[in-house]
Amino acid sequence: MAELDFARIFEALPSPFMILDRDLCYVAANSAYQEVVGTPFDRLKGQNLFALFPNEGEAGERLRQSFERVLATGKPDTLAYINYPITDADGTVTNRYWTAVHVPLTDSDGTVQHVMQNTVDVTDLVRMREATTLPYGSISAATRLIERTRETEASSAEFRRLFQQAPAFFAVLSGPTHVFTFTSDSYIKLIGGRNVIGQAIAQAMPEIVEQGFVELLDRVYSEGHVHAAEGARVMLENEPGQPPKETFLDFSYNPIRDGAGNITGVFVQGMDRTESVRAARRQRLLIDELNHRVKNTLATVQSIASQTLRSTSDFAQARRSLEARIMALSNAHTMLSDRHWHDAELGHLVCQELSAFGDEQVDYGGPALVVNAKTTVALALVLHEMAANAARHGALSVPEGNLAVRWHRDGEGQLVLEWIERNGPTPAETVRQGFGSRLLRMVVTGELGGGLDLNYDQNGLRARLSIPATAYAEQEARFD
Amino acid sequence: MTSAGRRVLVVEDETLVLINLEDILEQLGWSIAAQAMRLPEAERLASSVEALDVAILDVNIGGAKVFPAAQILRERGVPILFATGYGRDGLPPEWQDHAVIAKPYSQADIERALDRLLGADV
Repeated sequence: MAELDFARIFEALPSPFMILDRDLCYVAANSAYQEVVGTPFDRLKGQNLFALFPNEGEAGERLRQSFERVLATGKPDTLAYINYPITDADGTVTNRYWTAVHVPLTDSDGTVQHVMQNTVDVTDLVRMREATTLPYGSISAATRLIERTRETEASSAEFRRLFQQAPAFFAVLSGPTHVFTFTSDSYIKLIGGRNVIGQAIAQAMPEIVEQGFVELLDRVYSEGHVHAAEGARVMLENEPGQPPKETFLDFSYNPIRDGAGNITGVFVQGMDRTESVRAARRQRLLIDELNHRVKNTLATVQSIASQTLRSTSDFAQARRSLEARIMALSNAHTMLSDRHWHDAELGHLVCQELSAFGDEQVDYGGPALVVNAKTTVALALVLHEMAANAARHGALSVPEGNLAVRWHRDGEGQLVLEWIERNGPTPAETVRQGFGSRLLRMVVTGELGGGLDLNYDQNGLRARLSIPATAYAEQEARFD
Repeated sequence: MTSAGRRVLVVEDETLVLINLEDILEQLGWSIAAQAMRLPEAERLASSVEALDVAILDVNIGGAKVFPAAQILRERGVPILFATGYGRDGLPPEWQDHAVIAKPYSQADIERALDRLLGADV
C-alpha cells in the first residue's frame, strides 16, 4: 500500500488551511488559503501573521487570544465569527468575515509546536444575513455557529456541548414535517422533559398545532425568511401530564440551508421570558395600586383638612385637631402596612385611640376580631372622632366620667361595638351635629352598610354600631 | 352657571371624600338628590331617583366597579362625571368618551368639570 502524501493532501484541501509556529509566523499554507488572502506562499513564509495582516482592533485581539489559548492549553479553540479585513494583491482592502478553528500540533513530548488554522470565509453569508432583519445580534451569531457546525464536522462535538448546555434554548427541526434532530437541555426543560428526538413537532407537541406554530414553521421552511417574536404567549405543556401553561417566549425560527442554499430544516432558538413577563405584570399592578392608594389618601386628607378648618375659627384648635386626625389615619396605615394591607384586629384599633386615657376612666374589651383594610381605615377615623369628642365634650372631659367600649360578633356574624359614656356632662347640640357625628353616621350606615343607635342622654353618649360581616370580613379590599 | 335647585346623584364609597364632595356641591348651589356608598344602592338609586341633571360616580366602590349603575344612567340619558384616583386610565375603553375627574379634586375642579359637561351657559 502506497504511503499517503500528506503534504499533497494538505495542499489539495478545498478549505483554507495554514500552520503557524509558536511566534505566529507562517510555516505552511495551502493554495485555498493563499487564494483567500490574495498572497502567494513565498510572501507568507516566515512572516508573522500580525505583521503581515495588522489588526489593532477587537478582532485582532480575539484572534491573538485564540492562538495564545491553543499554545497555552494544547486544546483546539474556535472563533465562530470574526471580522477581519484583508489586503488583496492589488492593495485594495476588503472587509471579510471568518469562522476559524485553531488546532494544536504537538511534538512527541506533547508540547505545542504549531497551530493549524482552518478558516471559512463567511462574508457572503454575513451580507446575506445583514439583509434580513434580525431581532438581536446573538441570533445571527448563533445561526452562523450552527451553519458552521454543518460545514465543519471536526468541531461539531464541541458545538453540540455548547448548545446543549446553553441557558437559551435551541432545537433543530429537519425536513418539511419538522422532525426534531437536536434539542438543548433548556428546550427539553421548557417542554416538560418530553423526549421528542426523531418525532415530527406536530406529533411530539400537539398543543402547539392549533396555536399556529406549525404553520409558521411551514412558512419559514418554504419561504426561507426568519420569523422572530418577543414575549410571545405560548400555551406549553411544561410539566408532564399537566394541562398546558401560559408561557412567554422570545424566540426565532431560522431556516437552515445546505451548501447549495437549499433549506433543509429550521433552527429554533429563544429564551423563556415567563418569569420576567409575570414580574413586570405584578409590578405594574402594584404601581397602579400604590398610585391609586396615594391619590385616595390625599383625597381623604384633603377632606379632613377642609372639614377641620370649616368647623372652627380657632386656628390653634384647628391645628391640634388636624394633626390628631392625620395621626389617626397614619396609625391605621401603619397597622395595615404591618399586615401587608390586608386586615387589622379591632382590639388594636380601639387600643390605639384609648390607650392615652387611664384605666380608671376607660375600660374596653372584646374577642379577637379581624377586620379588612377598608373597615380598618374607616373605624380608625370614627373611633378617633368619638374619643376626641369624649375628651373635649363628653365623659372624658370631667374627672368623674368614664367610658366603656365592648365589642363582639353576634349570631348573624355582625360586628357589634358598644360605646357607653357615664357620668359625663349632657352633650350639647353642637356635638350632635358636629363633624364627628356626621362621620360616624356616614361610615357606619353608608360606607359599611350597618346600623347605628345613637343616644345622647344626661350621662353622655351611648352608641351601638353593628356592621354586617360582608362589609368587614377579610377580602381583597380595594380603596377608591 | 346657575346650579340652584339642580339635582345630582353622588356615588362615593369613602366617607370623608363623600363629605367633602357634598360640601363642594352645596357650595356650588347643587341639590344632592341622592347618594350611595355601595353598588346595590347605587344601582337602585340610578333607576329610581327622578329628575337627575347629572351623576358623579366614583369608579371603584367597595371592591366593585360602578359601571352597572353607570349603564342604567346612560340609558336614562343622565350625564355622568366619573371620579377616580386613576384618572382617565381608570376607565375601560367603552367608557373612555365620558368625563373624568381625577382625585383629589378641588371645588374649582368640580365646578369646571360640571360646566364642561353640562355647558356653561345653562
